[in-house]
Amino acid sequence: MTPPRPAKGDSRRDGALTRVTRDARPFLRARTGTVLRLAGWSLLEFVQTFLGGYGVARALDHGFLAGRPLTGLLWLAVAAVAVLPAQLATRGVFGRLADLVEPLRDGLVRRAVSRALAGALAHPAGTTARSLSQVTHQSEIARDGWAGLVLTLRSFVFTVAGAVAGLLALEPRLLLIVLPPLILGAALFLATLLPMAARQRDYLTADEAYAAHAGKAAADLRDIAAAGAADRTVAESRALADDQVRAARSLARWSGVRVVALAVCGRFPPLLLLLGAPWLLRDGLTPGALVGALTYLTQALAPAVQALMTMLSTVGGRLLVVLDRFTDAPPPPAADDRPPSVPPVRGSAPVAELRAVTFAYGPAAHPVLDRLSLTVAPGEHLAVVGPSGSGKSTLAAVIAGVERPTAGAVRWHGRPVRPADATAVRVLLPQHAYVFTGSLRDNFCYLRPAAGDRDLAAMIDALGLDPLLSRLGSLDAPLEPDRLSQGERQLIALGRAYVAAPPLIVLDEATSRLDPAAETRAELAFAALPGALVVVAHRLSSARRADRILVMDGPRTCCGTSAELLRTSALYRDLAGLWEPDEEPRENGEPDGRPRENGLKSSPPPSLF
Amino acid sequence: MRLNPRPAAASGTRRLARRHPAALLALFLCSTGGALAALALPAALGHTVDGLIDGGPVPWSGLLLCAALTLAETWFDAGAAVLGTSTTARLTAHLRTSTTARVLAAEPRGALAVPTGDLTARLTARTADAAAAPVTAAGAVAGVLLPVGAVAGLFLIDPWTAAAFLLGAPLLVALLHTFTRRTADAGADYQRAQSVIAHRLTEALDGAETIRAARTGAREYHRILEPLGALADHGRRTWTVYGRAAGQSALLLPLLMLLVLAVAGLRLGAGAIGVGDLVAASRYAGLAVGIGALTGALGALARSRAAARTLDPLLTLDPLPHEGLGPVPGRPGHLELRDVGVVQDGQPLLTGVHLTVPGGTSLAVVGRSGSGKSVFAAVAGRLLDPDTGTVLLDGVPLTAMDPALLRPEVAYAFARPALPGTTVEDTIAFGPWTAGPEAVRDAARAARADGFVGLLPYGYATPLTDAPLSGGERQRLGLARAFAHPGRLLILDDALSGLDTVTEHHVRRALDERAGRSTRVIVAHRLSSAARADRVLWLEDGRVRATGPHEELWADPEYRAVFRTEVAEVADVADAQGTPDEPDPSGTPPRPRAEAMRGAEAR
Repeated sequence: MTPPRPAKGDSRRDGALTRVTRDARPFLRARTGTVLRLAGWSLLEFVQTFLGGYGVARALDHGFLAGRPLTGLLWLAVAAVAVLPAQLATRGVFGRLADLVEPLRDGLVRRAVSRALAGALAHPAGTTARSLSQVTHQSEIARDGWAGLVLTLRSFVFTVAGAVAGLLALEPRLLLIVLPPLILGAALFLATLLPMAARQRDYLTADEAYAAHAGKAAADLRDIAAAGAADRTVAESRALADDQVRAARSLARWSGVRVVALAVCGRFPPLLLLLGAPWLLRDGLTPGALVGALTYLTQALAPAVQALMTMLSTVGGRLLVVLDRFTDAPPPPAADDRPPSVPPVRGSAPVAELRAVTFAYGPAAHPVLDRLSLTVAPGEHLAVVGPSGSGKSTLAAVIAGVERPTAGAVRWHGRPVRPADATAVRVLLPQHAYVFTGSLRDNFCYLRPAAGDRDLAAMIDALGLDPLLSRLGSLDAPLEPDRLSQGERQLIALGRAYVAAPPLIVLDEATSRLDPAAETRAELAFAALPGALVVVAHRLSSARRADRILVMDGPRTCCGTSAELLRTSALYRDLAGLWEPDEEPRENGEPDGRPRENGLKSSPPPSLF
Repeated sequence: MRLNPRPAAASGTRRLARRHPAALLALFLCSTGGALAALALPAALGHTVDGLIDGGPVPWSGLLLCAALTLAETWFDAGAAVLGTSTTARLTAHLRTSTTARVLAAEPRGALAVPTGDLTARLTARTADAAAAPVTAAGAVAGVLLPVGAVAGLFLIDPWTAAAFLLGAPLLVALLHTFTRRTADAGADYQRAQSVIAHRLTEALDGAETIRAARTGAREYHRILEPLGALADHGRRTWTVYGRAAGQSALLLPLLMLLVLAVAGLRLGAGAIGVGDLVAASRYAGLAVGIGALTGALGALARSRAAARTLDPLLTLDPLPHEGLGPVPGRPGHLELRDVGVVQDGQPLLTGVHLTVPGGTSLAVVGRSGSGKSVFAAVAGRLLDPDTGTVLLDGVPLTAMDPALLRPEVAYAFARPALPGTTVEDTIAFGPWTAGPEAVRDAARAARADGFVGLLPYGYATPLTDAPLSGGERQRLGLARAFAHPGRLLILDDALSGLDTVTEHHVRRALDERAGRSTRVIVAHRLSSAARADRVLWLEDGRVRATGPHEELWADPEYRAVFRTEVAEVADVADAQGTPDEPDPSGTPPRPRAEAMRGAEAR
């Protein structure tokens, strides 16, 4: 739905070649040896080309035209012998090619993963499909394109060298005729290269814009029909398709120019040779040499030129575009510099303390948290409740030091928050549990790799994970996250936090997919741990278990015990009433036996952003 | 602009070719002309060489002929390049637009049977593949002409040279065959290793919140990339296989050409042919081994045909039929269903539904999972045409009304709305008409969406791609979209399920304000929704179990039981909702989306 990128795209386009070259130079410099070995194997191509023309010339002059057919055959046999090691040489070439291509792909995949992770860690909710396409699709385009380029470029260099050497050996003056069109055509082609790459980029950009729109339309089909917006959507689609036609036409015109450059380079030299032939022949050029020269020009030079130019103008542009997408990858996520150590607890300093914390997601956005102050004492159990969007998850992220407040201060154990202390001070479990393919043990030990069997057994007992463990077989059985329910995933994540047992555990609706009994068991188990527990509550029953409850309600945010809040907070009364209508009937005339809507609240919480 | 795609447009090569006959004819002439010039050139070259070597007067006519043929070949090639690229682009655009129009003009049920990823692939890659067919076919003619003509040229020069070439031809064909097969096999392991990396990355991206909180980014980076070593090993193997195949052709092709040369040399020695003929024979042998290019063209044609086959089911979707009627002006939306039935895959989803909803009142639709609530909602606003019976709005059958006139009168909101459009503002304004800024903000307020929209980085101007939204927030944007396009019928298909009770309460009040002006159909799980509606439709196994005010129905213990089980179900369903249970776009095959029509039934 976005039109081809305007100014922004243009400014990026200008530097594509520079950016890619900047990254390519160290890559190639590190592989000088490989390039040289590749050249070594390619020498055979030089010999083959050289003998291909020279052998024909000699076969004619000394053999077939001189009435000695056997000598002629012998010269051709010499050329044939040069062909025989071709198979071996080709294998050598492809082996070295792999040395040049596979490391490139490795690097691109690393960059794609690094970019995807960095992006996802900065904006957890906004993951994109782009990164996956980079890992699989785009890195493959680059791999194939780069391999094709190396192969044709190498073949071109050695074929042309062989042909030039052959022409020199036959008659040096031949070069005077052949080189000018070759250079002219190459110059013409090089001049088209950059504008053509730009057209190629425009075309690919237009194609991607169309594909993005089509993908969205396919996903939104029902809503487009329901909204009666088919016409609008088709019109958008048509406009994007037409943009692409314009880009393709422009590309087509340049490809016409390329054909002309190709002709000047590959097809004009034989013509000029024929034009100059009467004089050359008069000056003693033999018929065999003429035929040999023609062989060089038509059988070696023209195909090599054609292959190179086709490769450069189709794959080359694409390769540049794709490689450029990898140039701005951020560095991979770094590990914490030094192993975190639990900071000394100073007397009864609060585990976490918020001092007039304000938080907003953008410069123009309203603050989600507005001068909020809060302390969490060691071992305390605090629950956070409030309507959707009141900032519960944001609060959890700020307490855990994942988000930095816009204003105000967060302190752990009386000291300002330092990221390096984070893993030693607290564990934050989001609602969406992360379970990865691997063993159950790997998953449990994720936050505390050194945990032993005894720790795991205690945890399994405390959280009631036996049924899950027996269903999966053992701690070391491979685990397929796709086969787990959301509830089971949350249990595994809870087990991980229990094993880590830090001074502060923050559960952000991390029990939302458990049934009430399992939730109760888990929360009681966590409350029994020595550390402080902050629970963003999914059900009011869970909030009631806490020592204190924080009701998030903008400027009317307040904190207290359940009994206090029922007196002081209208919202808390409202939440209690709406959550549990059977306990506090709001409306009269409701028949008896009105079902409990306990735990009914299925609203997903506001995401971290 | 009205949608009226022509019937039975299809993607077949011939039908496509008829779109741009002039361009394709010109392209055909160019590629044929280029091939003929290329075939004539060696003969002319040979003739001229003979003239030159004879030492007589300069053979100007021969030289001129060679120059003319070279220029002609260049000219034709350039023409073919320009025409080919632009014609394929035009055909692609045409095929894409007409497929999109077809899909969107049809009853959504038709296209929803295709999984989203598949549909996207058909609208993008498959259309491009299919549209390439006419140009590829025109080029393939030249691809046949060149090697066949070259062998014929060898025959004309001297049958022995042709015989020498044909001797090696079977080897050449066998080589081309193994070449394609082997390279296809080699890639499988490689792709598996690649998808392991992609899978690990998908998992990690899905767990980004946890990784960020646990500060394990570096560890995850190494874990994801751990299979990279295996990937490189498999990659090397593919190059080895490729190199072996390429090595064989590097051996065979030059030897075949030298063989032809040797025979020609012997014939030259015997005086049967001249030096020029030898030059021509060598050139023809070069053209004849170029037959490999033809296999590429044939492969591309096969791909085009396969792509066209996947498009045909979409291009034969019928647009919604209608009789050009429109809604009666000024009425409040009196909805009537007469003996309505819906069958899908042999399963009755709705049977014999008779119902009248007086204009301006509200109707709650309740029932257990699978009782047909969402199908009812789809039928009531013509998202789905019933297989039997009629639905009337203010006395006019929905099927008689022009969709362009009906749509502005019906607004839908869903449990899991898609958010078309570019920005938050755009997605609320998205509809039969684009709602103005004021209407958008009013609607957002009514749907209680203005609060979190204000928290987004750029408020209403925040691009949807940069707006991380929870399920409940998406639901409220979907509601706002419906509120921004008020008509005489408003259908909420479980569209309040993601709201907490306080928020829901306020949204319900906004809905009640529309009483008298529009009819509201509310599919709901919650007791409070049923209690608030003027009347309740109680569905069971696709049939009307009862209709009436909530208070009357409440006397029936089975009616009360509907809500009791719903309590348990909704708790379960919270599982199926919100976060994607279906893992990732790359891994498991997506489920057919026909279920989406029954969507809310599952939750």
